[in-house]
Amino acid sequence: MASIASMSVSMPCKGVVIPWSRSEAFAGKYGIVGNEKGKEKKVVGVKAKAMAMAKFKGTQIREQQLTEMIEKKVKEAKEVCEGDEKSDECKVAWDEVEEVSQAKADLRRRLEKQDPLEYFCRDNPETDECRIYED
Amino acid sequence: MAICTVYSTHSLDSTCSISTPTKTHLGFNQKQVVFFTTGKRMVKRGGGYKITCSADKTVVIGLAADSGCGKSTFMRRLTSVFGGAAEPPKGGNPDSNTLISDTTTVICLDDYHSLDRTGRKEKGVTALDPRANNFGLMYEQVKALKDGIAVEKPIYNHVTGLLDPPETIKPPKILVIEGLHPMFDQRVRDLLDFSLYLDISNEVKFAWKIQRDMAERGHSLESIKASIEARKPDFEAYIDPQRQYADAVIEVLPTQLIPGDNEGKTLRVRLIMREGVKYFSPVYLFDEGSTISWIPCGRKLTCSYPGIKFFYGPETYFGNEVSVLEMDGQFDRLDELIYVESHLSNLSTKFYGEVTQQMLKHSDFPGSNNGTGLFQTIIGLKIRDLYEQILASKAAAPLEASKA
Repeated sequence: MASIASMSVSMPCKGVVIPWSRSEAFAGKYGIVGNEKGKEKKVVGVKAKAMAMAKFKGTQIREQQLTEMIEKKVKEAKEVCEGDEKSDECKVAWDEVEEVSQAKADLRRRLEKQDPLEYFCRDNPETDECRIYED
Repeated sequence: MAICTVYSTHSLDSTCSISTPTKTHLGFNQKQVVFFTTGKRMVKRGGGYKITCSADKTVVIGLAADSGCGKSTFMRRLTSVFGGAAEPPKGGNPDSNTLISDTTTVICLDDYHSLDRTGRKEKGVTALDPRANNFGLMYEQVKALKDGIAVEKPIYNHVTGLLDPPETIKPPKILVIEGLHPMFDQRVRDLLDFSLYLDISNEVKFAWKIQRDMAERGHSLESIKASIEARKPDFEAYIDPQRQYADAVIEVLPTQLIPGDNEGKTLRVRLIMREGVKYFSPVYLFDEGSTISWIPCGRKLTCSYPGIKFFYGPETYFGNEVSVLEMDGQFDRLDELIYVESHLSNLSTKFYGEVTQQMLKHSDFPGSNNGTGLFQTIIGLKIRDLYEQILASKAAAPLEASKA
């Protein structure tokens, strides 16, 4: 049946230091661990929340697209803003990052309930988008 | 060529009106045949126009919030207060931003973008900029829905960044328009029966966006921070000023109970309620109009660290007289919630414990243990109260007309 493994893999972050993360609940969520002395905190791995099933191929493709778009647009924004941080281009670039980040988050949240293509695929089961996603 | 014919019948209780927009979303004039009737009727003429005459007038609520539409927990709490859950429309565009329940329809104002993602890039404007939005169309369609007429509303697809073919929106009992600019345009503002602004402080915004984005491959703390910083100027120029028009503002700030806290886990939330708004009576603590500082934890109620602190008092907010109810801290147990509810007044609940019940119903929603959930629930009940008062006043009016 539909597998979620490929969508929510733990990805090591670049070792970003978050000096103010204290509580265990917060630390546990973002995989922040202290070293033996308990002073330095580092992000060693970030686990995505448990994701619901992407049932249809169309949704899986969409998720992938959004993930790639986020990466691409963050890269673009960094490049554009190197010249002038206050420029319109820079603002627009980061606004796009926000838009796709939010779109991805919305899709994740909707998936918790039901695949957004559910009704569409009921009416159009033969389309490519509506192939049941298999591992 | 269609012919305009008008049949009129006398009707006391139906508020039928047809708005004939001079420009449709497609950009050209259309002639229509118009039928006035009592009760509900769907009439189709002249290429895709549905005209509905409804006896009930739609109540319109505006909600200003950053970051996306229809996802906000407030929407889910509000629809729950009215009963039912709001779902995306079945069938139709799977990327629709609209949510529909039995009583409520939530429209995302991003659907009124005049520029799609490419267009905005070309012009160098963000989505926050009014130049990227078609306020004329927004006004026309919200007005039409308010008057009981269905509309063909465009869809802005957040995945592709394009404007998709429109979807039909039928006038609901309660229409919520949610997005960045519900109170920006004066004409739209005048259509709102109630308006709410969710004001998230920068520190809390940062903490929440970290939770949202850190799992994404492309993101890091720097990119999340940079995105917030880059959007700040437009946000402050175009979105923030709407606060002065809001009937209520929910302000979310970092806690003052834990020195140096930066996690955004414990929150200080302020419910800023405007005085003198029709059908809306602010919630108060103990003695209306006075200033109260209240720590419920003590002999009768035991709370765990960091406890709960309340404040209530009159203030001035952007030149308006307001009452502010503030909660700092978290609820850990059910009895804390009931205790607090029993000391608040003017909650517009239908029975004792309704606030607690609503909070428990959605204990998995974010904010269910702090002021965000509490105040969103209270505002939801206030909106229900407002809706019922408006309905009652509309029912009273025709009776008087017939007596005259």
